[in-house]
Amino acid sequence: MTMRWMHALGFALLIVASGAQAQSRDVDHERLSRSLAQLEADAKLAPSVGGEIAAARAALLVLLEDSRGKKREHALYIAERRVDIAWAAAQVVDFSNRESELKRERDRLLLASARYEAEMARRELERQRMLSQIRAEEMERAALDAEQARLLGEQDTAAARLEADQSMRVAAAQAREAELARQEAELAGASVSALRARLDTMQATRGASGMQMSLGDVAFGSGQSALRAEAGGAVANLVDFVNRNPGQPIRIEGHTDASGSDSANLSLSQRRADAVRDALVAAGVEAARITAVGRGSANPVDTNQTAEGRARNRRVDVIIEDKQ
Amino acid sequence: MTSTRQKIHASVLALATLLVACGPTRPPPDVLGAAQLRLAQARSDGAPTYAPLELRFAEEKFDQARDAAADRDYRLGAQLADQSTVNSELAIIKSRLGKLRESVDVLTRENAAITRSLPEAGEGGGQ
Repeated sequence: MTMRWMHALGFALLIVASGAQAQSRDVDHERLSRSLAQLEADAKLAPSVGGEIAAARAALLVLLEDSRGKKREHALYIAERRVDIAWAAAQVVDFSNRESELKRERDRLLLASARYEAEMARRELERQRMLSQIRAEEMERAALDAEQARLLGEQDTAAARLEADQSMRVAAAQAREAELARQEAELAGASVSALRARLDTMQATRGASGMQMSLGDVAFGSGQSALRAEAGGAVANLVDFVNRNPGQPIRIEGHTDASGSDSANLSLSQRRADAVRDALVAAGVEAARITAVGRGSANPVDTNQTAEGRARNRRVDVIIEDKQ
Repeated sequence: MTSTRQKIHASVLALATLLVACGPTRPPPDVLGAAQLRLAQARSDGAPTYAPLELRFAEEKFDQARDAAADRDYRLGAQLADQSTVNSELAIIKSRLGKLRESVDVLTRENAAITRSLPEAGEGGGQ
């Protein structure tokens, strides 16, 4: 009876032990299967590690089949590593994706950095160019200032020189003017002297009507009928001439050259004859003795073709008429 | 007689089968060689740096496999060689992962440095 109970107890222990072993195997398998299922559920990573997952699944199948002894230990060892490898491969894929993304990001950043540096370099070049331009402009301005100062100095010098030159020219002009005035005065004096000499040297000659004395055209101004002041001496000679023949009638004839109209010449000759008569009367000659007539150009004494001849034709003759 | 002979023959065959099944088997020659190649690859791929624990397991398993083969325990030798191989593969993949982690860290730092060197958006970029 006791032996029976012992056999029953032993059988029960055997059943419990074999059940516990089966439960332990299931736990390892389930743990690994769960882990692998979790990886397979990752839609992003699982497709990239299909080979590793399949290898792990195969290892789990072997584990399921080898349920006892050292073969199970070996199968469990292999299955655990295969699941680890599958997960590590998935992480490799994940990090590889992140690495690729980071590389793309780095490329983008490097491009932006290169652009930024290029922009900075461009700005620096532009700054340097502007600085150079400013320096060049400053130098140009300084050169212009120096040139302007030099020109101002030259202008001042030139103006002073010009002023001095002008002063010298004015002085020279004044000197020339004074000299000309002096020469003119001398010439005028000489002319007057010559005129006076010509008038004073009049000689009485015998004409067709009696003794006569001619007063040349120099006694009158050009186109004028008034006697010049310089003709005073000549008038005095005439007065002396007529007074040497007292009581005799005096005929005064005015003559012109052939220039101009006859009427004008006649009028001018008459007025000149009148002027001489007036001068003689003024000098005390009796007016009753005097007859003044204008002959115009009717009685020339020389040719009217030359200046000298025309000058000789312009005259006033004072004639002491012979007694009839 | 026939029945007894048949029983004897069956017993002998069963014993022979058992002896053949349970006796030492010579591992395929490429199992240890393959494990050794994987181990060498793991070392050259940087496992000493990035997966030293897995590499040590692979080395230990490989040594044990070689010892088992030397002891003519080819079955155990084959299992240990497989375990060495799978540890080497794990070491290789973890080495790749370690390198990628380093690369990601470096790239992250570099990108951050480049980003810091750039002006704020709209200040100097995009022209």
